[in-house]
Amino acid sequence: MLKFAPYIMKSLWRHRARTVLTVSGTAVALFVFAFIGAAERGLADMTRGQQAERTLIVFQANRFCPSTSRLPQDYEVTIRKVPGVADVLPMQVYVNNCRASLDLVLFHGLPAERLPAWRELRLLQGNRDEFDTRSDAALVGEAVARRRGLKPGQRFTIGDITVTVVGTFAAATPAEENVLYTHLEFLQRARGNRLNEATLFEVRLQDAAEPEQVARSIDELFREDRVPTDTRPKGVFQASVVGDLIELIGWANYLGYACLGLVLSLVATTAVMAVQDRVREHAVLQAIGFSSPRIFGMVLSEGILICLVGGMLGVGTALMVLWWSQLAVGTEGVTIALGPSWWLLFQGLAISLLIGVLAGITPAWRAATAEIVTALRAE
Amino acid sequence: MALVEVRKVTKTFKKGEHEITPLREVGLEVEQGDFVSLMGSSGSGKSTLLNLIAGIDRPTAGEVWVNGQDITKLSRTQLAHWRAANAGYVFQTHNLIPVLTAWENVEMPLLLLPLSAAERRKRVGIALEAVGLSDRADHYPRQLSGGQEQRVGIARAIVANPTVVVADEPTGDLDAETTEQILQLLVRLNRELKTTLLMVTHDPHAASVAHRRLRLEKGQLVEAMAC
Ligand SMILES: Nc1ncnc2c1ncn2[C@@H]1O[C@H](COP(=O)(O)OP(=O)(O)OP(=O)(O)O)[C@@H](O)[C@H]1O
Ligand SMILES: [Mg+2]
Repeated sequence: MLKFAPYIMKSLWRHRARTVLTVSGTAVALFVFAFIGAAERGLADMTRGQQAERTLIVFQANRFCPSTSRLPQDYEVTIRKVPGVADVLPMQVYVNNCRASLDLVLFHGLPAERLPAWRELRLLQGNRDEFDTRSDAALVGEAVARRRGLKPGQRFTIGDITVTVVGTFAAATPAEENVLYTHLEFLQRARGNRLNEATLFEVRLQDAAEPEQVARSIDELFREDRVPTDTRPKGVFQASVVGDLIELIGWANYLGYACLGLVLSLVATTAVMAVQDRVREHAVLQAIGFSSPRIFGMVLSEGILICLVGGMLGVGTALMVLWWSQLAVGTEGVTIALGPSWWLLFQGLAISLLIGVLAGITPAWRAATAEIVTALRAE
Repeated sequence: MALVEVRKVTKTFKKGEHEITPLREVGLEVEQGDFVSLMGSSGSGKSTLLNLIAGIDRPTAGEVWVNGQDITKLSRTQLAHWRAANAGYVFQTHNLIPVLTAWENVEMPLLLLPLSAAERRKRVGIALEAVGLSDRADHYPRQLSGGQEQRVGIARAIVANPTVVVADEPTGDLDAETTEQILQLLVRLNRELKTTLLMVTHDPHAASVAHRRLRLEKGQLVEAMAC
């Protein structure tokens, strides 16, 4: 088939305006599709996986924004005693914006010495020891660091909080790379006198423990206490917090599919025109010995080529923008990271290929099965 | 056995209610190296007969044997492969693929055969040389005159050394001088390369350059008188 590449390329080039327009239309649509795909994927990352299912979050009952959940820190001791609980981590959460935002800055304050046990972070820049010794130290997720241009040694102020960046890190999930870790006590003080107060507790379960059951036991314990709690698996907790966004992303999904439908009809139109233009040309090719399968393949290749080039441009641009901007949609202290991934690239190209095939199949079939004599007489 | 044998071929076209039968039990034998011209009034079925011999159409009844093979028995795809190796076709106009250069146009049929790039280059070179257009290899069809375009078409028809070359009014669109050039080219190819040629024409002068002159009349072939 490679031998025929010059003919295929030159045929596309003959109608360059048409080809370029179709390619750019495809690129725009796949750009949008990849972006929506990134949001969907961020969402899936958040609610799936070991972490999401085997970790519980204890929050104040009937509270949603982290700034309003205020649990006594001594709950930790009580929770530890609940059967099935392996470990408990008190956390203070501060978020610069409680509403949906594309530039969420999320502080997680936790006991510094327990960070290694609870978070798998890979230090990119800076010094881990300095985090332990310096009280206003912050370890900054790569996504925030890139978005806000933060480097070790720098001071960073947001709202009434000022931290010193001591390092940047990469984590297993993109959402985690949107977090700044500080000392628990630092954040408690910075938020006005909130010593001995935690926003939430993260609870790690023993291997045999049943998450729902442990959650019920914990809430039962504090039902009559100073502050009642609401305990849920991390994934469920996060999904419920970003519920509105999930709906939005679900909606956007339909728009994504609509984009694909649009590309399909765009490329199909181009393919149909390309075949109608060349009824005689295809007949001449058949007359000199081109078989029907060969003509079919050549016409199909044109559609596929247009789609793949458009797809590569669109998805490539989307991934570059995602990589460069490290966007995170967040609300109430839970973020959905919009990051690039190989999966998005693969998915985008696979879909482009599929659209190319679908759009080209009918015109290609027409060209391949046309009666030579009839086609030659057509002019 | 002759190189081309048309045996009792009938071709009927259905047009809605009524049928047209331009060929009625036609028989024809063409020997290797022959140059046959075919005349007849418009609508007499000349092109139809040519198409059957070139394997781009099928008879309603009868057989077409070329080089010992009944091509009416081949499947659509087999027939395409057969054409690539055995038939050269020169049309009256618009022979060439507009996006390809003269060289690339001539190379097209060779791409279908199991030939190395070097072999293809050699053969295209020879074919363009034979029609006297080596210096126009890089020209596109729109940069060629009608006569030159027709010569490239002829080069493409002969490049694969086909068993038979058919030409449907190859000079129909050309002026007298260019017609003469093309006719001389065909005569030379037939003489020097022993190409077996079948040419449809309306022009008695064009027909006269052939060894054998045939006429189609009322669905039958008759030998024309030498003039
Ligand atoms: N595909 C077709 N469908 C219907 N009728 C056809 C078809 N092809 C040819 N015919 C009819 O068959 C007859 C012979 O056509 P053909 O093209 O062979 O004539 P011709 O001798 O080549 O004429 P001309 O000198 O005008 O080219 C004509 O009446 C034509 O209308
Ligand atoms: Mg004709």
